[in-house]
Amino acid sequence: MSDLRRARDETGAVIAVEELGGGLVELIAHLPHLAATARAGEFAQLRCGPGPVPLLRRPFSVAWIDGEHCSFVFERVGVGTRLLAAMRPGDLLTSLGPLGTGFTLSPSLRRVVCVAGGLGCAPFPLLAAQAVALGIPDVVVLHGAATAARLYPRERFTRGLTGVQVVEATDDGTRGHHGLVVELIGAALGGGLDAVYACGPNPMLAATARVLHGGAAVPDIREVSLEAPMGCGFGTCLGCALPVHRDGGTAWALCCREGPVMHMDAVDWDALRALPPAHVA
Amino acid sequence: MSDGALDLRVDLGRGCVLPNPVGVASGTFGYGFEFEQLVDIQRLGAIYTKGTTPLPREGNPPPRVAETAGGMLNSIGLQNPGVEHVAREYSRSFATWRVPVIVNVAAADVDEYVHCIRVLDGAPGIAGYELNISCPNIAHGLDFGLDPLAAGRLVTAVRAATERCLVVKLSPNVTDVAAVARAVEDAGADAVSAVNTFVGMKVHLGIRRPVLPNRGTGGLSGPAIKPLALAAVARVRAAVRIPVVGVGGIGDAADVLEFFVAGADAVQIGTANFADPSVALRVLDEVAATGERMGLRRLTELRWQPAPTPA
Repeated sequence: MSDLRRARDETGAVIAVEELGGGLVELIAHLPHLAATARAGEFAQLRCGPGPVPLLRRPFSVAWIDGEHCSFVFERVGVGTRLLAAMRPGDLLTSLGPLGTGFTLSPSLRRVVCVAGGLGCAPFPLLAAQAVALGIPDVVVLHGAATAARLYPRERFTRGLTGVQVVEATDDGTRGHHGLVVELIGAALGGGLDAVYACGPNPMLAATARVLHGGAAVPDIREVSLEAPMGCGFGTCLGCALPVHRDGGTAWALCCREGPVMHMDAVDWDALRALPPAHVA
Repeated sequence: MSDGALDLRVDLGRGCVLPNPVGVASGTFGYGFEFEQLVDIQRLGAIYTKGTTPLPREGNPPPRVAETAGGMLNSIGLQNPGVEHVAREYSRSFATWRVPVIVNVAAADVDEYVHCIRVLDGAPGIAGYELNISCPNIAHGLDFGLDPLAAGRLVTAVRAATERCLVVKLSPNVTDVAAVARAVEDAGADAVSAVNTFVGMKVHLGIRRPVLPNRGTGGLSGPAIKPLALAAVARVRAAVRIPVVGVGGIGDAADVLEFFVAGADAVQIGTANFADPSVALRVLDEVAATGERMGLRRLTELRWQPAPTPA
């Protein structure tokens, strides 16, 4: 369970709001506490505007940290993200974080793979950097999107670091592998892996879990970052329940505390598939 | 306290004296343990806990929350660890806290309510109980809240089981909230809280169905319901003599003072806690400062005295 004592409410200036093409936006803000403490896969609850709409904050993975600056990657899907995208340098952004359980990283790992579907790219620039900082020599990012314009720019995964390799896939074949990102996992497994981390739409995550279920080459660390409609982000509203396997049955786990990152085998994928996607709420 | 200074204390009855009127609403603060890690909860007027049931409950399937214009729908389904766990484990922490803890209790019938109260009565650190007779999200959750006779019978039975302060949380989903308030006052309630969430629905056109599962409805809270809650508080205030705890859409100090004008003796901050974990403490400080500035000795001096209704 995540440690809420690490979280702090802070307000800092927006530094830049960058259009990445294909509707992706990266917002950079001066948030020193979050920058000093966030680990890959953890998130912040961002206040998107000053008024009562939207009433609640929105959860965003910390995508990148540079000094005292943090960045978040999103697209305009609702009132909150539209307000964030409309922010200008100098506007104030309020953040509560870091929150949630992030990815498992350790210096003993030698080769790790990130599977990023669409906006599921968000936690992986930071993961790659923190992996490199831990001395993990080989970080592979498999990144898929519907079309080339919607791929997160590869140089933002690598950020000039050596040891980070990006392999791309597009549904329409406009760049990289013509097909699904999940189809790239087999080749990556062949090289021997210590960990797989995945983030993206639920069907992509379920497919990733299926590919990695059993088999000699499959690493113990197999983690997914999930999402759910959230009220508070710190375990009080009990709104962000996700189906997990527990004591031989299905139980609810809170995405905001037990997640958003969980072991693939802990998730009840059949029950999750039956739920409407998180953005519906 | 020096003469002429603002006295924020609120006496809910049976020795339950809140240090100040700004409490936090059931279902928005858990049992205080998460917020304890984020803010100084000990300064609050009271913590009204998550609805606690005879047995542990897993809660409803997701999605459980949906945002609306200025509000939020929830259908959590009273996920909680059960009354035994609260009495045995959580109360030990409550007993070390300065903030009064009022345990919200929800059950399906009179015997279950009485059972919960008896279990909790043996535990330390509990300042009182808030009877949840108004949960819109579970079967039978509203049974007692809709019928003054049933509500009165329930309160009579619970009253006989405890000497601790008994607050009854009223449902707004009734024709006449004042009738239920009078019934629970007559049956021995020490105070009422007004109001619980309003039954609401959010529809997703793309999937051509409600966003929330099951019946598609949930409880609406947040700024959207503040005018409705103020009206309910005024109606209840006119109907009873016991303290009224106002709740519904409070987000700042002005909201709190408006509830005092409408007839509240104390308030609960609810959904705003989700958007800002320190909101209740900030509101408390602002209420105190504003009350001093207004030269009040008690916030209830703000109370509106409605003219008699013309015949």
